[in-house]
Order: sequence, then structure tokens, then C-alpha cells
Amino acid sequence: MSVIQVPRPSKNAMNPDRPVNALLLAQVEHLQHAERRLPLRYRSEIYTHAIKTEGEAAVYIREVTEAIHKAHADAAALRAKRARRPKKEFEIAAAAERPSPKRSSRANKDSSAAARRKK
Amino acid sequence: MPTGLDSLEHIVVLMMENRSFDHMLGSLTDVNPQIDGITDQLSNPDTTGSPVKPQPLAEFQGQLDPDPDHHFPAVDLQIFGGDTTPNRVANMQGFVKSYFNQRRDVGHSQKIMYHFKQADLPVLTTLALQFAVFNRWFASIPGPTICNRAFAHYGTSFGRVDMNPFDVIEPFKSIYSRLINATPKHTSKVYYYDTTSSTMEVVNLLQNEPQLFGTYQQFLSDCAKGLLPDYSFVEPNYNDHETDSGEEVASDQHPDHDVQAGELLIAEVYMALKNSPLWPNTALLVVYDEHGGIYDHVVPPACAKDKFSAPANSTGTGVEFDFDRLGVRVPAILISPWIPKGTVVNRVFDHASIPATVTKFFLGDYSQVSPREMNADIFIEPQGQAVDPARNLLSLSTMRTDCPEFNV
Repeated sequence: MSVIQVPRPSKNAMNPDRPVNALLLAQVEHLQHAERRLPLRYRSEIYTHAIKTEGEAAVYIREVTEAIHKAHADAAALRAKRARRPKKEFEIAAAAERPSPKRSSRANKDSSAAARRKK
Repeated sequence: MPTGLDSLEHIVVLMMENRSFDHMLGSLTDVNPQIDGITDQLSNPDTTGSPVKPQPLAEFQGQLDPDPDHHFPAVDLQIFGGDTTPNRVANMQGFVKSYFNQRRDVGHSQKIMYHFKQADLPVLTTLALQFAVFNRWFASIPGPTICNRAFAHYGTSFGRVDMNPFDVIEPFKSIYSRLINATPKHTSKVYYYDTTSSTMEVVNLLQNEPQLFGTYQQFLSDCAKGLLPDYSFVEPNYNDHETDSGEEVASDQHPDHDVQAGELLIAEVYMALKNSPLWPNTALLVVYDEHGGIYDHVVPPACAKDKFSAPANSTGTGVEFDFDRLGVRVPAILISPWIPKGTVVNRVFDHASIPATVTKFFLGDYSQVSPREMNADIFIEPQGQAVDPARNLLSLSTMRTDCPEFNV
């Protein structure tokens, strides 16, 4: 079978100044809904009510989509960092609980002596 | 004898935007009379009462301005012709009247009946003629994009017929969650075009499970390397934007985006799979989310009610909707080298068929689905059990070597 030619879109197809359509406005609204739950440092400074063109919507869509990804990635990185830390803390704590053989016999002697003095 | 179904390991869905079956594939009735498209008997009255016939005069861009209304009340008018009485009968006679409401221009309103010629859409029409075209694939609800796409992800729109954010209501999980949390675990991905196009499933999937997402470039790479997940959902580019590598023209075919850009996308996705080592093991469904307010002649059938209802004050018609009627017909094509050329499918499907099919194929019995999904037909039979040959679309026992090729 011969290869079928696929015509390319016209050069005028691209128009970021096209008035934003209802679907993109809905997508912006959904992203704004998600953006409100992001910590402040991830939020855009875009006033969505001022979005009138497809190009303006595109800027907002990209910014918030990437912010959502970044917020999750940062949380995952922090989670991984915290997952490493408690083991170390537990080991230190456990070591403090376990008296060393030398210290423990001396500690026992001291505490016994202290107990006898109290009596 | 084994068939192509026994080789299937990957399902890919590409969901485009806002074009009806008659608008895109209606011309194919002349090529294959089994395809239920445009005939001379079809018409819609305009606001003067004159019948307006479908004509092959659709243009790639600039014609359907304003964007035809496809919200619930407008689609109700399109389907019922303006009849709002309790025992009304659907007649598909309200499309021109509906479009007239937007610009109050009789001549312009008639353009809602225009359709493409076969030669205008070499990709979509070739795929429809070469693989399996569905005569009866309908939007899940007679309404807009967000809730129709919800049916493709969740098997329900949780009672919504509008474009507002919605909450997922347990126990109806997304098809992606079902797969990745199954035992044994399966793989799944939503490929959006890029972060500037993003996804239409923001509030639940992107916000809560961003790891599910990849980009279109990753999809192409995964195809080439044979790394596709079990189930992939591909979204087109929803907006015109600039990138570091140049202009990205919207490819979703939503009016008023250039239809040819969407043809190119469909061809690219098809060729990426055809050239992939996974081609023998993959089925691709190309489908549209809803009809975009554009004419189609087939009356959407009634269907099983969903668990949810849309209250009267949310439908815009003043009447409650029980999700017991499907939306307008849309183009849907199943592609695989194991499908006989010229297959035409007449069973009824809607977007709930997507999670229904994928779930049954990969997970088998799974009960936590909506009533709509439970009652939706499936387009790929599960493996490992007796298969009804009449239902198996991947029926060839020898893989085709004559599949079409596009220059992308």
C-alpha cells in the first residue's frame, strides 16, 4: 500500500490571540481550584479573570500544572529525607538506653553505694 | 485457533474533541453502505421552517464561529427539536435551531449541517475503512467535555452534566487507580501533550496523582522503545502555544482549532504504534468525547440509569436527568493489525465502555463500578475464557501486513 500524504495545517492555523474558548476557561477554573490548595510559594501571580485569549490561558495552564508537579516532587523529596533521619535518631536513642558493659557495672556500683548511703 | 486477541497486551485510547460522527465520517456511506452516515433523506429545519440538508462543505477552520453550543440544554434542543413535553420523542431536528440561537443568522446556522468529504480527512477516513468503525458509539451524556471525559476515566460523571470541578465519590475509582493498585500490579499512564496543554482531569487525577502523567514526547519514546504501560490514555494539544522548539498548533479539533492539525496527530499516534515493537500486541481506540453541537442523525438510545442524578436546578432544562440516555454519536475507530479490513460494528457503546473494557481485560471480575459501567458493552473481549467469535474484533489468526502508512 502506498504511503498516504497527510496535509499539514495552514500557516494561519496558529493563533494564540484567539478568544479563549469555554473548554479552556473550564480547564483554567479547574486548575485554579487546584492552585488554591497549593502553598503560597507555588502559586502563580496570574489573575485568571483577566484571561481573554488562548495564549494567556496557555501561560496559566503551564504554570499551575508545573507547580502541582513541583509541589508533589518537593514533598516526595522531603519524605525521602525524613525517612532516612529517624533511623539514625532511633539508633542514637537506643544506644543511650543500652548501658555499656564498663559503665553499667560502675553505674551499678555507684547506684548501690548511693542507695546504701540513703539508708 | 488463536486469534490476535491472544497477543494483546496493551490498550491505547486517544480521545479527540467535539466532532460528530456524521460531520467526520458521514461521507463514508458512499464508500461502504454498511457505515451509517449521510444520505439524501436527512435534514433539519432552520428557523424559517425550511429543511436544511447535510452538505460536504465543512472547512478545517474559521467556519464554526461561534463554537457551537454543546452544553446540556442546547444538546437537549438538538436531540428533541425543542419539544419539552414529558412524553417527547427524540428526533435529532434541533441542530440548526440551536446554532441559530448563538448568532441569530439563518444562513450561518445552516453550517452546523456541513460535513467533511472523505478526501478532506485522509487519516481518519482511511483508518475507519481499514480497521473497525463503530456505527453506534455515543457520548456518555448529552452534554459537554468534562463530564463525558469523566465517563472515560471513572465510568461515571458522579451526577454532573456541567463543566464544573467534581469530586470523585467512592467506591468508583479511576481506571488508572484500579490498575496500579491491583494485585498483581498493572501499569497505566495518561499522556498529555505537554504541561502547557495539560490534562482535562485536573482536580482529581493531576492534583492527587501527578505521577500518572507523562508527555506526548514520552509517549512517542515509549512506543519506540517498547515501554508502553498496559493502558494508556492520550490527550491532544488543547491550545495554540509557543515552545522553545517552535509553535505548537492545537490538535484537539475542538472548534475553532484546525482540523488538519488533529489529522496529523492521529496519524502520528498511529504510526508511532505501527512502528513500535509493540504493534502486534497493541490496540488503539481513536474516539471523540462529544459531538460539539454538530449535526448527527442517529437518535441516542436510552441506557441503564447511573447511581447518580443531576438535579433539575443543575441541568439548565429545569428537569432532573437520571443519566438514562446517551449523548450524540461520535466517531470511534478501533485499530489493530489483527482486525479485518472494513469491519463495521453495530453494537452500542459509550465512554463507560472504556474503563469497562480495560478493567475486564486486565483485572477480570471487579465489582466496584458504576451502574453505567456495569451495563456498558466492551469492545475487547477478555482473554482466558471462551470468546464469542461474533464479538471478537481482533479476530484474524494471521497479522495483517497491509496496514496503511501515513507520511508524518
